[in-house]
Amino acid sequence: MSRRTYLIKRVLQAIFSIWIIATILFFLFRMGLPDPTAALITEGLNPEQRAAVRAQFGLDAPLWQQYVLFLTNAVQGEFGTSFSYRAPVSEIVWERLANTMILMLMAIILAYGIGVPLGAWLSWRRGSRTDTAGIFVGLMFRSAPMFWTGMIAILIFGVWLSLMPTSGMRTLPYDADGFWDKVLTLDFLWHAVLPVMIVALYYLGSPLLIMRNTMLEVYGEDFIEMARAKGLRERDILYKHAARNALLPVVTQLAVTIGLAAGGQVVVEVVFSWPGLGREILNAVRTSDFPLAQASFLIMAAFVITLNLLVDILYTTLDPRVSFR
Amino acid sequence: MNLPPFFRAAAGPLKLMVQDRLAVIGLCVLGFIIAMALFAPLIATHDPRHINEIEDGSVLTRGADGWELGESLGPLALNDADHRGADALIVGRGATVWERDGAQWRRVEMPVSTDFNAVAFGPDAGALIVGERGTILSLEGGAWRAIDAPAPADLRGVAWIDASSALIVGAGEEIWRLDLPEGTITEIDSPVGRGFSLRSVARDADGTLLAVGERGLAIRYDPQTGAAVLDRLGSSRDLNHIHVAPGGAALVTGERGTLLRRAGPDANWITDPAPDTRALRAGWIDDNGAAIAVGRNGIVMEWDGAAWQLVPTESERHLRALLIEGENWLALGSDRFVTRTAPPSREHWFGTDHLGRDLFSQNVHGSRIALLVGFLGAALVVLIGTNVGLIAGYYRGRTETVLMRTVDVMYGIPFEPFALILVLLFQPSLLIVILAVSLLTWRTVARLIRSQVLSLRERPFVKAARVAGASDLRIMYLHIFPNVMPLVFLELAIIVGVSIIAEATLSFLGLGPPHAISWGGILHDARLSGAWRTAWWWNLPPGIFIMVTVLSVFFISRSLEVVANPRLRARQ
Amino acid sequence: MKTKAIWLGASLAATAALTTPVLAQERVPAVEIYTTTEAYDPIRYEGAFIIAEAWRELGLDVTVSPLEFRTLLDRFYSEQEFDATILGWSGRVDRLDPQFFLGTLDSRQAGLGANNPGGYANPDYDALFDAQSREFDIGERQRIVHEMQDLYMGDVPVVVLFHRDEVVAYNNTAFTNMNAMAGEGLYSEWVPMEAEPVGERTTLRIGGPQEPDNVNPLASTSVWGWKWMRLYYDRLVRLSPDVEPVPWAAESVEAVDEVTVDVTLREGMLWHDGEPVTAEDVAFTFNYYMNSEYSYFNAYLAPIASVEATGDLSVRFNLSEPSAPFATITLSQIPILPKHIWEGIDNPEDLTPDQIPTVGSGPFVFDRYDRGEFMSLSTNSDHFHADNIAVDGVEFLIYADAEGVFTALQTGQIDMTAWRMEPGQIPLAEGNDDLTVVSVPDFGYFHMTFNTRRAPFDDRAARRALTMAMDRERMVNVLLDGRGEVGTTVVAPVNAFWHNPFVERFEYDMDAARQELEDAGYSWDDEGRLVR
Repeated sequence: MSRRTYLIKRVLQAIFSIWIIATILFFLFRMGLPDPTAALITEGLNPEQRAAVRAQFGLDAPLWQQYVLFLTNAVQGEFGTSFSYRAPVSEIVWERLANTMILMLMAIILAYGIGVPLGAWLSWRRGSRTDTAGIFVGLMFRSAPMFWTGMIAILIFGVWLSLMPTSGMRTLPYDADGFWDKVLTLDFLWHAVLPVMIVALYYLGSPLLIMRNTMLEVYGEDFIEMARAKGLRERDILYKHAARNALLPVVTQLAVTIGLAAGGQVVVEVVFSWPGLGREILNAVRTSDFPLAQASFLIMAAFVITLNLLVDILYTTLDPRVSFR
Repeated sequence: MNLPPFFRAAAGPLKLMVQDRLAVIGLCVLGFIIAMALFAPLIATHDPRHINEIEDGSVLTRGADGWELGESLGPLALNDADHRGADALIVGRGATVWERDGAQWRRVEMPVSTDFNAVAFGPDAGALIVGERGTILSLEGGAWRAIDAPAPADLRGVAWIDASSALIVGAGEEIWRLDLPEGTITEIDSPVGRGFSLRSVARDADGTLLAVGERGLAIRYDPQTGAAVLDRLGSSRDLNHIHVAPGGAALVTGERGTLLRRAGPDANWITDPAPDTRALRAGWIDDNGAAIAVGRNGIVMEWDGAAWQLVPTESERHLRALLIEGENWLALGSDRFVTRTAPPSREHWFGTDHLGRDLFSQNVHGSRIALLVGFLGAALVVLIGTNVGLIAGYYRGRTETVLMRTVDVMYGIPFEPFALILVLLFQPSLLIVILAVSLLTWRTVARLIRSQVLSLRERPFVKAARVAGASDLRIMYLHIFPNVMPLVFLELAIIVGVSIIAEATLSFLGLGPPHAISWGGILHDARLSGAWRTAWWWNLPPGIFIMVTVLSVFFISRSLEVVANPRLRARQ
Repeated sequence: MKTKAIWLGASLAATAALTTPVLAQERVPAVEIYTTTEAYDPIRYEGAFIIAEAWRELGLDVTVSPLEFRTLLDRFYSEQEFDATILGWSGRVDRLDPQFFLGTLDSRQAGLGANNPGGYANPDYDALFDAQSREFDIGERQRIVHEMQDLYMGDVPVVVLFHRDEVVAYNNTAFTNMNAMAGEGLYSEWVPMEAEPVGERTTLRIGGPQEPDNVNPLASTSVWGWKWMRLYYDRLVRLSPDVEPVPWAAESVEAVDEVTVDVTLREGMLWHDGEPVTAEDVAFTFNYYMNSEYSYFNAYLAPIASVEATGDLSVRFNLSEPSAPFATITLSQIPILPKHIWEGIDNPEDLTPDQIPTVGSGPFVFDRYDRGEFMSLSTNSDHFHADNIAVDGVEFLIYADAEGVFTALQTGQIDMTAWRMEPGQIPLAEGNDDLTVVSVPDFGYFHMTFNTRRAPFDDRAARRALTMAMDRERMVNVLLDGRGEVGTTVVAPVNAFWHNPFVERFEYDMDAARQELEDAGYSWDDEGRLVR
């Protein structure tokens, strides 16, 4: 199989996956979730009035028609109007996605920025107390649920020490035009400190351990022995030769993590009241806001699938041992 | 069955694990948690769902810096108190009577064992106590004499008409006139007659008696005419207590912060706005404009001449009565109150939550759901994942394509949102939670096992078995499977950890199995109540339990990894 | 071996069943209580378990199923697939008129999707309901309303579990003269008009976790939308803090006869864009609403046959039938919209957020709305009420949850909470000298509704007994921390004029409950299970 056909095949597979997920979601939501107009009863609407609202939402058409409409619109990047916000879904979803991504990317960069060199260093000190302690700490933050570490962080830094804001992205009210204007402020960074720290600590374990273990494997390879034989300094061997060769698994893991980041960490968004996509999807499902829920989930899925695809392509480029199957 | 390969495969990891110190620690901790889950009912000190309430003979004293809780008078609620000169009596549930003895209170033994609701000293001598089931006791010459009641009514209030007669009111709208020393009781007809509860009675300045009760009921009894007539105080709330000062100032307290005040004998009743809307149980007023009312949850309000002011008290106790003698003010209680968000104590090792439930017991019981979901979920994941991996890797071809495409699609689904949606769609239950944590996770196992199987199926021993005529199933499960066992165990351990966190996450978001106690659920409650910002004892332990459990599983998995990956073993 | 034994047991049981006397009583069917999830409302959730425990003691087989809120509403209203359900009605000001709550027991409301899912049917009750809604004499209407409460209480088709106090707080170092209103708490339409700044900031900042679904007066179906919009739209009549209708945009409201009402507008009112407010605008608004797809106000508009402008400032309403709540509810709820802006909009419900007109004539002027974050209004100095308004504007800060709101209140970022505080926050607020905690009784209620079409709830005695087995006082004391009151009728005690205090009360009494069941022919089998 040529490289080109392989790539085309993978892209088609990715599109197929997205379609399958979209279809399952569409029917799962319509069949499984309660009528989105149910809540209007408590506002005093009678059955006829509710029927009118259902028609307005486009829920009176046969299911297959709704499905076809959904697919044709989705292909054009159009997801309809949110039932609860009465505003275009794409607008809401992109805004929330941006909020989630900025939090997650900051955390991931921090985690990998610290985790990778730390892992390399631990491998250097393998078997020592520092090594054990490093593994212990990495695994500990991996084992502690983020909602809990978040709550504890709020308790200590927010409540007891009153050092940091504990909810939201910004101090209200404020004046801003556009997304970047909102984000590039000290106030925003100040709000982001705690959540970014919590997510980063959770993510820290995986680059740390992967880096450490791959380094251990790399040490056994011939070229390291060669370098040693040449009398190079150990530090140079570590960072110039071994680390470079051990990076591939870490980069893979990084790509996968970024892909999953769109799904966000719902609990972190909940604990820190971060207006991200994860919280939005939870709300959308709870209020049977089909268009919003579908779009949010689909975009998350597309993100994951695209990043996975990129990882595969990366592999075929970087590692000639991988065959095109 | 041919078991030895299984055992052989399992023995290796164990041997290796024993050599790894972290793994041994992990095993010990996990064993401890499992033991905790198994013996939870024995270890727990309380029923984890039980709302712990205490009854107490509480006494609050007004000091220079506000009201302070003093030493309790017994374990039962104190319902009423009265004094004359230096003599004072406090009565309460379970025939409780305390008599003033200098600066102390002395318990008095009574001839009956019913609950006492009210006490009143006579103008010159004697005292009366009334209570449930028609209890009427008269103090004559230092001894208490029981007086026969015409009916076993729940008597709530008593007030003296003159030195030799008193009026008693009851919960069934009873209005009884008691004449001493004979102890004869005359039943007075109520002007309402619908069985509404009367709760308190007091002698008014003009010599008539005013009884108050539920639904704003007020009945005035005139000893001259012997008739009871309806009075209107301007409230339809349940009225709990009436107090009339000698000069005619009067205060009626009732449910929902009801305060009806009369400045003098001829003044009108005024409904005062109350600073708190909870029930008021007792009030006191004098003719110089001082007044006080007490009620549920330690509410104490004092009249400052223009408005009622809430006085801070330290107590959650429900105050039921007042004893005011000059500068000496006591507030008495308390029927069952909830010990909410209490810090750790000898009774509650990890403190209590917002409903007074024991947190230690909750944490102990919480281990059950965590381990159940952790292990069942992981077992399910490994079962599905291993089989899919085996089948896909062994058969290859179209079977493999279909299975692995499915796995690919599943890789496109973000785990956490998917699990949440699944639970929301199908309503939380233990089964759904287990499904939610395992339905996506098997994708990793399937991929890993498949790639292992792919290389194993080309090995000589598999080919040999095939030549010998072994069936596909036999080859898959007896020849290939034992060789992927270490990997399966490794995945099992990792997924146990992942499942425990996933379950905690769902429970934390309120999507756990309903009414099940879990660590995540405790944290959910803590956050929901809003009290967790101060109650560190509430949110610290469950997280530590989760962390320690998952960490111990990870330690175990790490040493399993050494088993599964010989390249690592060589280097350690 | 084992299977055999089971078979034997089963056949033995079968013969036993056959040989028992004809008198054999049947087990009372198992019941399922639907309630909200703990996350949605921990009080209703725990309450269900308290009730279930007591019912089990009576020998009933009970399960509690907490459902997601929408699912719960769907099962209860749309499908009526339930045995007993715990839900609530919020106390909106327009529900102070007894019309709405009494209507939830009207048998003509028992259809799918309507307000009486329990299916209570009592012709006498229905007749009285019609009588009160046509009765113009307020004393007579009160008598009928009281009679209705007395009439249905004995049948207990619905148990009012409790009324929960709204506990809110404001910062007393920033504003004074903050008067809470029943059913509205502090976030009433009057507080922004009455509040007096004592600190540096003269803009009143309200904080809350809820936000409007949108601010389109022809699409919003949320209380939070209307609580905000009513600040910049005028109504003909406003309800005073004591819930008396007071003329507002109307100078006078006169009933010409039972079905004709003349309204005269105040002189000199201006829209925020400078155009004068005329009778044409009023007539247009009502007709616009009546002709639109928007159904939120339909119940209020139902009695209106036609509306016409009879002069520059006078409008005539022709009703199709006499309607007692017309002046209090209809005129006080419908906002007056500017004709010159809305007449060109054909499908107002489809407007996107940036297309929604925000021109009103109210005491405040719309400023901005950033979804999910912030809304603001500035005071309208041209308004006839402007002299009485001390604040320069109103801002609403939207927080993600109650935690965020409370933190903001503590740090002085906001001046008052729009929504009740969490129980755990109340003591913290009480301990803070800068904060004044206000507890407002609610006339909305939490209820358990029995499905009167299903056994055992089709039996009056069973309903009565099961009601007696509810320790509602304990629910108030333990779950609400005493901040609330045990319910009696659907018209709350705080609604003192319409509430009938002299109705049967069903106090918690397990012995009385057993007695009630026994009297109705129920008994208990050997295992203590309820049979009939």
